[in-house]
Amino acid sequence: MTDAANPVPAAPSDSVTLTIDGMPVTVKKGTNVLEAARALGIDISAFCYHPGLPVVAQCRQCLVSVEKNPKLQPSCQQTCGDGMVVHTTDPQSTLARKQQLEFTLLNHPIDCPICDKAGECTLQRLYFEHDNADSRVDVPKVHKAKVVDLGPTVVLDQERCILCSRCIRTCDEVAGEHQLEFAHRGDHEVLTTAPGAQLDNPYSLNTVDVCPVGALTSKDFRFTMRAWELEATPSVCNGCATGCNIEIHHKNGRAWRLVPRHNPDVNKYWMCDEGRFTYHPLREHRLAAATVDGLPAGWDRAIRAAADHLMPLLLAGASSGPQVGPQAVGVVLSAEYSNEDNFALGKLARAWGTSHVYVAGKPEVPARADGRLRVADVNANTQGVAHITEALGLAAVPVSELAPEVRTLIMLGTELPGIDAGRLRELDLIAISTHERGPVATAKIALPAAAWAEAGGTVTNAKNMVQRMHAAFAPPGQALPAWEAIVRLAQATSVGTSNKISFAHVREVFTDMTQTVTAWRTLTWTRDVRPLALRFAGSRG
Amino acid sequence: MSAKVLDALKATHGSAIESTETQHGDDIVWVKRDHLLAVATWLKNDPAMAFDAPVFTTCIDRLDWRPSHVPPGPPTYPASAPWSEGQARFEVVYQLRSTKHRHRVRLKCAVPEHDARVPSLSVLWPAFNWQERETFDMYGIKFDGHPDLRRIYLYEEFVGYPLRKDYPKEKRQPLVRRDDLPINPIKPAQPPGGGHR
Amino acid sequence: MAAPSSSPGPSGGPSGPSGEPGRSLKQLVLGRKDIQDLSDTEQELPPDLMTINMGPSHPAMHGTVRIVLTVDGERIVNSDVQPGYLHRCFEKESEHATYTQVFPYTDRLNYVSPMINNCGWAMAVEKLMGLTDHLPKRAEYVRVIVSEMSRMTDHLTCIGASAMELGAFTAFLYFLKCREWLYELLEKVSGARLTHSYVRIGGVAKDLPEGFHADLTLCLDQIAKVMVEVEAMLSNNKIFRDRMAGIGAMTKEDAIATGCVGPIARAAGVDYDVRKDYPYSVYPELEFDVPVGTTGDCYDRYLVRLEELKQCIRILRQCLVQIPDGPVMIDDPRVALPAKQATYNTIESMIRHFKHIMDGIKVPAGETYAFVEGGNGELGFYIVADGTGRPYKAYVRSPSFVHLSTASQLIHGHFIADVVPIFGMINMIGGECDK
Repeated sequence: MTDAANPVPAAPSDSVTLTIDGMPVTVKKGTNVLEAARALGIDISAFCYHPGLPVVAQCRQCLVSVEKNPKLQPSCQQTCGDGMVVHTTDPQSTLARKQQLEFTLLNHPIDCPICDKAGECTLQRLYFEHDNADSRVDVPKVHKAKVVDLGPTVVLDQERCILCSRCIRTCDEVAGEHQLEFAHRGDHEVLTTAPGAQLDNPYSLNTVDVCPVGALTSKDFRFTMRAWELEATPSVCNGCATGCNIEIHHKNGRAWRLVPRHNPDVNKYWMCDEGRFTYHPLREHRLAAATVDGLPAGWDRAIRAAADHLMPLLLAGASSGPQVGPQAVGVVLSAEYSNEDNFALGKLARAWGTSHVYVAGKPEVPARADGRLRVADVNANTQGVAHITEALGLAAVPVSELAPEVRTLIMLGTELPGIDAGRLRELDLIAISTHERGPVATAKIALPAAAWAEAGGTVTNAKNMVQRMHAAFAPPGQALPAWEAIVRLAQATSVGTSNKISFAHVREVFTDMTQTVTAWRTLTWTRDVRPLALRFAGSRG
Repeated sequence: MSAKVLDALKATHGSAIESTETQHGDDIVWVKRDHLLAVATWLKNDPAMAFDAPVFTTCIDRLDWRPSHVPPGPPTYPASAPWSEGQARFEVVYQLRSTKHRHRVRLKCAVPEHDARVPSLSVLWPAFNWQERETFDMYGIKFDGHPDLRRIYLYEEFVGYPLRKDYPKEKRQPLVRRDDLPINPIKPAQPPGGGHR
Repeated sequence: MAAPSSSPGPSGGPSGPSGEPGRSLKQLVLGRKDIQDLSDTEQELPPDLMTINMGPSHPAMHGTVRIVLTVDGERIVNSDVQPGYLHRCFEKESEHATYTQVFPYTDRLNYVSPMINNCGWAMAVEKLMGLTDHLPKRAEYVRVIVSEMSRMTDHLTCIGASAMELGAFTAFLYFLKCREWLYELLEKVSGARLTHSYVRIGGVAKDLPEGFHADLTLCLDQIAKVMVEVEAMLSNNKIFRDRMAGIGAMTKEDAIATGCVGPIARAAGVDYDVRKDYPYSVYPELEFDVPVGTTGDCYDRYLVRLEELKQCIRILRQCLVQIPDGPVMIDDPRVALPAKQATYNTIESMIRHFKHIMDGIKVPAGETYAFVEGGNGELGFYIVADGTGRPYKAYVRSPSFVHLSTASQLIHGHFIADVVPIFGMINMIGGECDK
């Protein structure tokens, strides 16, 4: 966690100036010496300190000497004082940290080749960067339990544990449940749950992230992929309306895990377990090719079939009866899809002249709301769709209020809540969807769309923050970003050019959208981020 | 002997020099693009400089530049801070040597992405003819005044510039169809107008 | 080429076996006329310039390079040299590999003298890490030994192949045999005959094998003998001299301005050898001369290379006497792998081994250009490091590429047949030129 909150030089009244290794630095009052040193680019080794957790000064790995203080001080606990003079490279503190590291390694098993943390392990990094001395110990190591099933998501290896207590504090702070504790003493001290209890809070996998060694491993990820082989692409969790910032760790065209990315305004350093598992559906029941009447078809044929179906309806006058005319066509926006996809479809609905615009999404799960990161709304973009329909002047209502004259429904996504099977049978569905399930399976025409991890775009969370997702890998089969399918549909129904629905890049959709939605006018499109190889990402761990 | 060249350059072409630095005994001069040709001509013709031997030309794409393990404290040289939007993305590098004085110098010229061109130095040193073609081939830097600026390693039909950091390593553009690759793997990396703001 | 006076063979003659009068069997089968049957107008060559392709696959085009020649009869009036057929993305691949993983790529640059490329890469990384003067003496000597052996294989190949292309097949066989002795020795040293990957950052992979001194001494004695023979065969051979002397000459000024280095520049009178002008490793402790030519033509290039071979032998003999005992790897945990025994049995060494292999050797952010005297001259690596385990940018200043850029100028005005010795003496190595 190197991207700790950088202390910002503030007004003189609430800031202090101290000297670390001869370099002056001004930080906010209350900042600890470790953070002040990091602001200068000095990396003090530490295990138990985590910027998002309370300080316990348990590992003694960050000892520094402070002038006029006879004892070495743990820099994580030492608050910066005005005029304080700190040395991190003097022989005394350097030796103390090296010796501390030697003790930590004393009973550590030789597990790197089979350890899931290898490659992103804090112990490995600190030893390599701060010590690098040969072993001086030839007594046998203390052995403890190798596989302790802590709960539904986490496995503990007690031998690897260095007793930093980060996981204990994570449970306390993030989940608000004290589920882990140390037992026994000395060499035999171990991490454990209370007898009969489990580590089963909904934020349990954060303990795996903060674990500086491979003691806690995720049942979901362990033994599937080596950490250093992965590539990271920044994105936003699509599991609920919180919009936790995440990194997609992927390799070979698929995601292997999702980990939280620091954002002080949204999720700090954390995310929930449920969100972490949202990468699994990216590979399940995907719609990989366009279908017409349930049979696979190419893009061109499917779009042509859609146009052949829609054109007579759209061109018919209002006097021709309730069964035809633009009002027989309904359009369903999806709170699960990005702003750009919804904007393009909303614009298309307006161009067609239909007044039947609906919003669909997964039903709320009130039990999820816990006042922390989890909220009841499990759609990533409810707020975004609301903004877009308002800006486009579309009177969008929930899809359960489907008007009786609608005969053909253009839908984004897989959800049509509140529509019974009988009504569904009457409808001609044209679905633009990532997955082949629910109503999409019986759609007249289904167009495959790229999922959130595969197409760049933005989503708007419950706090109305528009957050950017980057494409991590290519979509399966012939899937295209949904906005691109909508552009093709617009061109095929001869409304694309006249209504400027002829985008060639998601950036163009975004630019058009920010010009339309007043609240988003100041937003700019940043450069696409390319996957970062974790192996060469500097100091991981 | 090394500081001599940098000092002489600063004394005679102060306004054309952005900064100078010495790394691992190598002298580096950052020259403003408009003055590159004048500085290079002087370096070649001045008897005290006499940079008669060209060594190499290349380019650095700073797009992914996020240095780690930099010494603590304020930046010591221009490139010790991470690259950010608004900075020039490319650095064209010329290395020169003098057979007479045996000194060496590296000229660097910052080139923004939207206007990736520098004056060609192949008029001064013929060796840079092919080297600049290589840099053009790999990075897409246009050399103004180059007599024959075309691709040298790759074929004319190649799309993009492979040594740019935003060109994926895995991307393939076979000129002849191969059975072990998808039939239509070539999709323009960026639509017309570039994939950025 | 059809012989000017074709005598009617068994199948020729006015009436062939088919019995059709006036048409030979050749005419019937191939539809071609015999030369005596051609009319005057048919025998005239067209007066305009002709464009022909030489390469990319041509016996005289070392590696693969294509030259589009515009010829006036046999004389070259214009040419376009097109490299790139061996482009293997050295730089792009290096940007995605650890510093140690680049060694095998450097093997495939100048694949006739891979040890020198290994050394050049290692020296560039060591310069960035500030290790340049801290290597064990023995490691430096081992590097010089394998480098000079590689320089010999390079020159032996160049002279041998060029002689063969001019018809002197014996010289080729003799020299290739010599090269094979050296390759066998290098195989004993590194485990691979051609792609050695023997040098490491901070030293070399392992010490010289047992009995290496005796083997190399014997090998050098034999090569010295063979060289006397080949010199006698070639140096005053009329055909060889006629094909080489005065061909592809280059002035000293041109050689400097076009960036030429190594034997080509030295043949033109440029006294520049990295080993003398910017001494590195233990070259200051060794005595050797740098031969310099006068005319800058193909024959001088041949003579310079021949003399350099003798100097290589001289250097190697000194090395064998002067090489000290000791480790061949620097004792620095930042770059040196721990012993295998410790790796398997202690967590400290395991971590270090793991970090070296998986994350790569961490090189501090910065940039440098380091260069060595390769088989063809100044071979340099320009590395930009960003503090991670892989180079942010790795550029190779390949002498072959620079030399090949002069080819168009050198062959201008010469006959098509002269392309062969000129190309042979430029000694373009496809792997190095095309990167």
